[in-house]
Amino acid sequence: MSDPGGAQLLSRIGSADDIAALRSLRDEVHEQMEALLSEQPVEQFYAILNEAHDALIKRTIALAEADLARMGNSPPVPYAYLLFGSGGREEQTLSSDQDSGLIYDDPDDEAERETARQYFADLTQLIVETLQQVGYPPCEGNVISTNPDWCLSLSDWDNKLNGWFEEPDWERVRYLLIVADSRSIYGEDELLEKLKGLFFSDMLENPVIVRHMLNNTMRHKVLVGVFGQLLRERYGEDAGSLDVKYGAYIPMVNAIRMMSIRAGLRETSTLARIHSLHLMGKLSADDASAYTEAFRLFMRLRLMATERSLDGMYMNNGKLSSRKLTKELTDQLKTGLRIGKKLQRRVFRQMNGMF
Amino acid sequence: MVKKVAVALGVLSLVFPTMAFAADEASSQMLNMGLNTLWILIAAILVILMQGGFILLEAGSTRMKNAGHVAGKTIFTIGLCSLVYWAVGYGITFGTDNVENETLSNIIGWGSFFFDPSIAGDPLNENYPTSVFFLFQLAFAAISLSIAWGGFAERAKLSSYLVFTVLFVAVIYPVVAHWIWGGGWLAQDGAQDYAGSTVVHLTGALAAFAATVLLKPRIGKFNKDGSANEILGHNQVYSALSVLLLWVGWFGFNAGSAVSVGDGFFAYVAFNTQLGAAAGAVAALLISWLITGKADITTTLNGALAGLVAITASCAFVDPWAAVVIGLVAGVLVFFSVKFFEKIKVDDPIYALSVHGMAGIWGTLANGIFATQVLADKVGVGQGGLIDTGSWHQLWVQFESVVVVGAYVLGASFLILGVMKMVMGFRVTEEQEIIGLDLSEHGTYGYPEQMKKAQQNL
Repeated sequence: MSDPGGAQLLSRIGSADDIAALRSLRDEVHEQMEALLSEQPVEQFYAILNEAHDALIKRTIALAEADLARMGNSPPVPYAYLLFGSGGREEQTLSSDQDSGLIYDDPDDEAERETARQYFADLTQLIVETLQQVGYPPCEGNVISTNPDWCLSLSDWDNKLNGWFEEPDWERVRYLLIVADSRSIYGEDELLEKLKGLFFSDMLENPVIVRHMLNNTMRHKVLVGVFGQLLRERYGEDAGSLDVKYGAYIPMVNAIRMMSIRAGLRETSTLARIHSLHLMGKLSADDASAYTEAFRLFMRLRLMATERSLDGMYMNNGKLSSRKLTKELTDQLKTGLRIGKKLQRRVFRQMNGMF
Repeated sequence: MVKKVAVALGVLSLVFPTMAFAADEASSQMLNMGLNTLWILIAAILVILMQGGFILLEAGSTRMKNAGHVAGKTIFTIGLCSLVYWAVGYGITFGTDNVENETLSNIIGWGSFFFDPSIAGDPLNENYPTSVFFLFQLAFAAISLSIAWGGFAERAKLSSYLVFTVLFVAVIYPVVAHWIWGGGWLAQDGAQDYAGSTVVHLTGALAAFAATVLLKPRIGKFNKDGSANEILGHNQVYSALSVLLLWVGWFGFNAGSAVSVGDGFFAYVAFNTQLGAAAGAVAALLISWLITGKADITTTLNGALAGLVAITASCAFVDPWAAVVIGLVAGVLVFFSVKFFEKIKVDDPIYALSVHGMAGIWGTLANGIFATQVLADKVGVGQGGLIDTGSWHQLWVQFESVVVVGAYVLGASFLILGVMKMVMGFRVTEEQEIIGLDLSEHGTYGYPEQMKKAQQNL
């Protein structure tokens, strides 16, 4: 890229003033990043890419806010727009969907409460729709800011969290793990900090939750067999490919997240979490660097997974086709997967050992 | 033996004093014949009941829209097979009219067509009446035929079932059975195939192979890029029950092949059979778990059957430990064989090629490795294998019988089915295949409520 770090592109995103402009910038990001894929170290690549995604999303929110302002509506209370999932972890690939939520400050009275509810319903509606046009498909699991369950005032969020902690069935534990990866991308960051404060104090009061989280966290198996062989897809159009997303990347994200939650870490990116865990003495230097290496590989492979474009959205099935799995890559992958599997086992033992 | 019978008769004579008068040499032979007959008939019934297993196996492993056809055509072909075997097949296998012409009688039997057995056996010269022997042999022919249907599944025309039944039971199966069991040239070489790993299973499987190659894969089995899709059967419980039915029936198949009660050797055969099946099931589940990360049910079921198929040739010739080894190898073999056939893009809907073909070959060869001299002498066929005697002779004979039988069955099946394909057409139309054979061949669904609902949703 003639534009190292994409500074110029970022500033163009920051000054785009309609959807069409954003869409063409998104396509430009895609093209430029694809060209960069082989040149950049993977962390740097993700950093640039996520900065670009962030800029696009921020600009979309700002434009939506401005649209509503033109109709005479401005935010009745401060708010923060949240990203969950890979967006929250700053690990979005070239094709990531929208996992989002919204948190706003507590309104003073009942009337204002209704105004706020209505305003943020309109705002999120506009944002999500615009982002779709810019090429971000909505979250299939309906974890998205237009869903009233994920667009709440601070005290409602607090109640919600307490409810989840009190009755930790499988689905609610999943929500808690989603919140653990949340990041404020726009607005009043302080609000999310408060929410995270509530999250971690609830954690301390409900140590049992760890066991529930553990089951949820371990459900995706690392796709390496007893003989060190890759467990590939056997049937269908993707036969022979490896599900890098759910068989390598997600298990590792989950295991590291589990350790981080236990340690009270507020970082969301997996590499940052590993680093902090090491600084806290929870991981030895050797382990931390082995995990970092493995995770970097998985991040790189995720970018190589089969992409498809559907209705103008950037999509990715998370699977690495056998054509791209060279001998060298396969060997690296096997090593990485074995490390991932060991990490999973370690987390499982550690967490179980607590009770 | 005689002593035991005498004791038994002595005890009986206390209960029925008049029997004591009959307790002479002739009546002890009569009793011997009676017991043999009873056991062989029970065994024949068990083997015929295995067809229930095949109905459930094929129906469970295929889709709902073909279930009625699968079940119904099995009953029809058993009927047709019985008539053809009575008229022709039995005579080609066991007929002795041409016994003077050694060149010819080495290849096929002749005589006893439209078989008309004596109404009772002759205890002084026979161990059992020929009527019961016929039933037992017929049951085997029908099993081999049902194995062949595996290659036809879900896409062959009903008329092809009719024509192929006639030709398979008249020409293909009886010739192989004659070679190995009817005093033909492989029998004279000492080929060991106690209950039919080669004669019944490999023969059926190779006919299935020819059929499935000529028919080409089912619609939707393979993608353009060559990758396979999984066409799941509609009822895994049927498939599992089918394995249990076949497993139980197999005691008739193997232990019945002793065709005598005698000193109870048939129980040893049953004992080895159980070990082989058990080892096959266990090995298959474990290997699929180790290799794919999932303990696959279908593979486990295939493993049990592969263990049974493999031990069929060797159940009377090997020690118990060898029966376990034979079963274990069969279970592992069947797993890789299924993958292999998928890789070469041969659609094997109910895994007949792997379960009956590969395991049949393995079981036959296993005799050449594991047979013991003591047991070979006891059965009176061939000699001990590589491990017991250090001689390669038996392994060579086993290899020869697999190759020769394989070549004959493959050649004959490709010829017959190829001609059928040219003359009358072999496969249903694409439209018929999609709506299912229940409707296209029989006019009504096996599961009317569900299928009508499914059709409305189309």
